[in-house]
Amino acid sequence: MSQSFYVITWTDVLVSFVLVAISLGLIRWWKIGLEKTLLIGTLRTFVQLAAMGYVLTFFFQQRHWLFMVTLVSLMILIAGFEGYRREKEFRIPHYFVIITGSLFFTVFIVLGIILKFILDVQPWYYPYAMIPIAGMIIGNALNSTTLTTNRFIGELQHRDQEIEMLLSLGAPARVAVQDSLRNAIRAALIPNINSLMMVGLVQLPGVMTGQILSGVDPLIAVRYQIMIMYMWITTVIIVDILVLAFVYRQFFTPRIQLRRHLLLKKYP
Amino acid sequence: MNKEPLFRLTSVSKSIGGKTLLDNISLQIEAGDFLSILGPSGAGKSTLLRLFNGLDSPTAGTIEYQGKPLFSYPMTGLRKRVGMVFQNPVMVRGTVRDNLLLTQRWEQPSTNLAEETLVSVLAQVDLSPAILDQDTKTISGGEKQRVALARVLLNKPEVLLLDEPTANLDPQLARRIVRLIHQLFKQLKLTIIMVSHDYSLLSKYTTRIAFLIGGRIVEEGAADILEQPSTETVKTFLAKGAI
Repeated sequence: MSQSFYVITWTDVLVSFVLVAISLGLIRWWKIGLEKTLLIGTLRTFVQLAAMGYVLTFFFQQRHWLFMVTLVSLMILIAGFEGYRREKEFRIPHYFVIITGSLFFTVFIVLGIILKFILDVQPWYYPYAMIPIAGMIIGNALNSTTLTTNRFIGELQHRDQEIEMLLSLGAPARVAVQDSLRNAIRAALIPNINSLMMVGLVQLPGVMTGQILSGVDPLIAVRYQIMIMYMWITTVIIVDILVLAFVYRQFFTPRIQLRRHLLLKKYP
Repeated sequence: MNKEPLFRLTSVSKSIGGKTLLDNISLQIEAGDFLSILGPSGAGKSTLLRLFNGLDSPTAGTIEYQGKPLFSYPMTGLRKRVGMVFQNPVMVRGTVRDNLLLTQRWEQPSTNLAEETLVSVLAQVDLSPAILDQDTKTISGGEKQRVALARVLLNKPEVLLLDEPTANLDPQLARRIVRLIHQLFKQLKLTIIMVSHDYSLLSKYTTRIAFLIGGRIVEEGAADILEQPSTETVKTFLAKGAI
């Protein structure tokens, strides 16, 4: 790592509170009435991120592969739980296991390739590389699975008659939902492909901005960003296909009947 | 020749969410029957029909097909033998040809259908070959229903399940479709199970009738029970006319 050009101190951070003070003044003047909420939000940002900083410092001091693998597993478990919680409108059997299992598989595959073959980090569990990259992969994968699962259920609701028509002609379940699977994965992929198209033209991505601010050569920052973009798209494709491969099966009985009751919302 | 009936339903019931839709139905259907299941809407007719090709399972009771439990057959194969046409003929996006070739999506490529096969199946349902490359969005409801029929016939079924196939058509077209179905029944030696609430349309063609009212078969027999029903429930139903 090259040396940081601008080291920001806690005093500097307190000075940046001036920006919030200006905002507070403005909303007071316009009687918008959110002063208290804004103040609490500002304080929470400070406390949560400061705490996170100390937690990360602690993690970064650890030098045992088992600790790192457990930590990443815990992150995946939390993400799996969050994904399951977001899907509470519908009752998809085994959804927690499906989403957590798919995240495990995807994260460790992608993470392994990056740490071992691209960055060639020594040791492979070097926390400065492993934790942030794992975090990015998990976060992206989680959002994408939520999007793709919701879209898939929407497709099934919309196409139930078509699916039963196909089943009645002798189609296997996989064929009967082929169009729904395709549309669901496309819906989750398109925003990611769009950002592959637009990156660098309108907005500098967050990781790159952060690296440049902390003094990294823009050409190195760019290389990181390119790798991250490829990592994102691969993660999304693997995890979405994996999740849907198991989710669609939940909507059919072993007798290849559409389980229509699963398409009804739990709380109408 | 196998003396087993084609279908044998024994004490079949179906309930969903505590509501009984079919109540203790026993019924035999012989090969070559044209059975009409008549009854008011909400009587459970479609629910019953969906059991014959395993789109739904009964909650209680057994269904046999050619002497063996229905669900002992591989479902995809069974559904080709027991074809179904729905009330609302769903078309997949694309042309009539795309819809006729749907089974190619999962059949071996070796079963590629020759153009003559498509033309002849269209002739069977009284459609001209010119319709093959039309977008299904541009064809009429009656044409869609016939394309749906042709699509099922390409599977060479032994049984045709028809769920109110004329419900959304005007009376003249409805009569034409029923006549067509009867022609297919004769020509292809099919067994037909047709659900309808409109008995006036069927009396000329059907060989057997079952009245399904309130989830129960209240009366069943040859076509002439339309003239002389023996139960009060059926008399009341018939007196109301086609609903």
